[in-house]
Amino acid sequence: MINGNLKADYSADERILNNRNKQFFVYGSMFFLTLFPVFADDYAVLMACKMGILLIAVIGVNVLTGYTGLISLGHGAFIAIGAYSTVIFSNLFDGLPTGILPFVVVPLAISVSAIIGIIVGLPSLRVKGLYLAVATLAASFIVKFLIEQDLFSPWTGGIVGIDTPVPNILGWELDTKREMYVLITVLAICTMLAAQNLFRTRVGRAFIAIRDRDYSAEILGISLLRYKLMSFAISAGYCGLSGALGAYFYARILPDQFGLNLSLELVAALIVGGMGRTLGPFFGVIIIMLVPELIKISMSSATGGSLDWARYTAPVQEIVFGLLLVFFLLKEPLGINQITDRMLRAINRWPFARG
Amino acid sequence: MGQFTQFAINGLMSGAIYALIAVGIVSVYKATKVVNFAHGYLIMFGAYFYFTFAVIIPGQEWAPEWLASWKPSWMLEMRKGLGMFSPLGAVLDWMANIPRILLGLVGAVSCNAILGRVVERTLMRPLMGQSVFAMIMVTVGLISILSGSASLIWTADAAFVPHIAPNTPIRFELFGTMIFLFGADIVNMLIALLIFGGIVTMVKFTKAGIAIRATAEDQSTAYSMGISVPKVFSNAWVLASTTGAVAGAILATRNGISPSLGLFGFSVLAIVLMGGLDSYVGCFIAAMSVGVLEAMTQWKMGGEWAAIVPYVAVLVVIIFRPHGLMGQKEVERI
Repeated sequence: MINGNLKADYSADERILNNRNKQFFVYGSMFFLTLFPVFADDYAVLMACKMGILLIAVIGVNVLTGYTGLISLGHGAFIAIGAYSTVIFSNLFDGLPTGILPFVVVPLAISVSAIIGIIVGLPSLRVKGLYLAVATLAASFIVKFLIEQDLFSPWTGGIVGIDTPVPNILGWELDTKREMYVLITVLAICTMLAAQNLFRTRVGRAFIAIRDRDYSAEILGISLLRYKLMSFAISAGYCGLSGALGAYFYARILPDQFGLNLSLELVAALIVGGMGRTLGPFFGVIIIMLVPELIKISMSSATGGSLDWARYTAPVQEIVFGLLLVFFLLKEPLGINQITDRMLRAINRWPFARG
Repeated sequence: MGQFTQFAINGLMSGAIYALIAVGIVSVYKATKVVNFAHGYLIMFGAYFYFTFAVIIPGQEWAPEWLASWKPSWMLEMRKGLGMFSPLGAVLDWMANIPRILLGLVGAVSCNAILGRVVERTLMRPLMGQSVFAMIMVTVGLISILSGSASLIWTADAAFVPHIAPNTPIRFELFGTMIFLFGADIVNMLIALLIFGGIVTMVKFTKAGIAIRATAEDQSTAYSMGISVPKVFSNAWVLASTTGAVAGAILATRNGISPSLGLFGFSVLAIVLMGGLDSYVGCFIAAMSVGVLEAMTQWKMGGEWAAIVPYVAVLVVIIFRPHGLMGQKEVERI
């Protein structure tokens, strides 16, 4: 029996938060996020900022992998492009007043990312599945390699990295982590809403049709060329925004931050959270970022913070990361979102059967 | 021309090793339709196992002395009076290492076989019949598990690893230029080519090989013909991990052991895609040409540019031939 989902008119059916539990969850988390910097300590704020930056990138991967069905193992490269373009353009437009510099630089970084995304996406017209995964992986290795080259080091700083500018929004200088937290949280919520709304439009529906069966979609009149490249551009743009925020957040960026591990982390967060769902990236990022932290804290408290054991922390974190990915693939391929869906449904229908 | 021949030969030698690694990825793909992203990390485990059995165990106190360094009296007799760089001296030096090299190879191959079987049983078997995406991602998760466990188990710095063959320098003249090679590299290449040829023949002619090919063609038909498909799966994984162990041992002697051996697997993955996932011949051609291309890049543009040659090559090939040089085109029905 379906209950708790009474819709009296179409506008109620079209709402994003179409039942009370969702409303409660979303507004509750927004309220929590607003209060968070008030009572959290510096370390928690730092972690929250990192999560927000990763979240925006995972939403981007979700557009490509979750909704359009194209596997990418190279999205770390787009974050790198976003971050490095932010730094390069900031240095390039040095003459502009600092207050409006981010409004010029960040859109530029996003568009550079999106353009590179289209270029990397070109093989997706001819190949898919794992061929595409390897093609994107190869592209990301090439991007990282080029960043590290001495040839470009006047702009990118080469292998030792480059210092990043402090963002200044219309005179408001965001030089503390707490101020960055505000910016990152607002942008993360906006991108999430944008992604949610994208899939209520013609473009988003075309993406989903391509995911479900690309040849069928083509027969229905959806141009694969156009929409696959558009999907690549949008997801690379999201990653570019994430990279730009990362550049503003960290005092220095290094090519090694954007290696294979980052790309894998993005995909893992998406799988753990739930692919093709709006809140999937949200849950996934929380798990992927918090579990290693918990391991670190519990290991250091269990061993009394001795240095002999500290060197085992990183390998254990790595193993648990892999195990998480494998566990979710084997046991709950639809991710945490599926679990929360089940719970919400059960609450909605209480005291009736949980189906 | 002079330098060219030298670099071409170097390229062919590293191409043979690429081919040896590629054979593992291709075999697993043929049997199970899974592309093993973690193959490089299986190789890394092979290298570390070789290091354990060839260096750590003979170095222990309880190990017999002949294991670490085998010196029968006749050998000492011959060694006397030989110059420092004489070829015979190098061979004798190598013969002193034979026991630990053999132990290392046997240990690496058997441990990796067990590892391959365990991975297949615990991770791949439950996913039989699931989507390709899930299987690929499981191997991606395996990357983290393997690389984390490797740094957990082998914390010691990897020291010198004994060469598989006598490492005498060899000079000879070819097309009017002096070619300079190391004995171990040649033997490595021969080992790689022999194993590659052996596996291709096996897949072509033996019963187990025909089972692999039948499974590649159509799983359910193979099932109904009495072929045990799960057995084929685990055989393919064992085949991949054992060839990986040999490749790992060779790489360990060539470049030393480090966690970056795992990344090596990705360039081989690129080579396999370039050659066509289900074609041994295509992979062989791709491996050799990438080997040569890398050597040429090293010669003309410097060592670091060689690292991205496989990736650029695979992108170029994929755009023009989406299924690789000799890969079978997939027919899709709606």
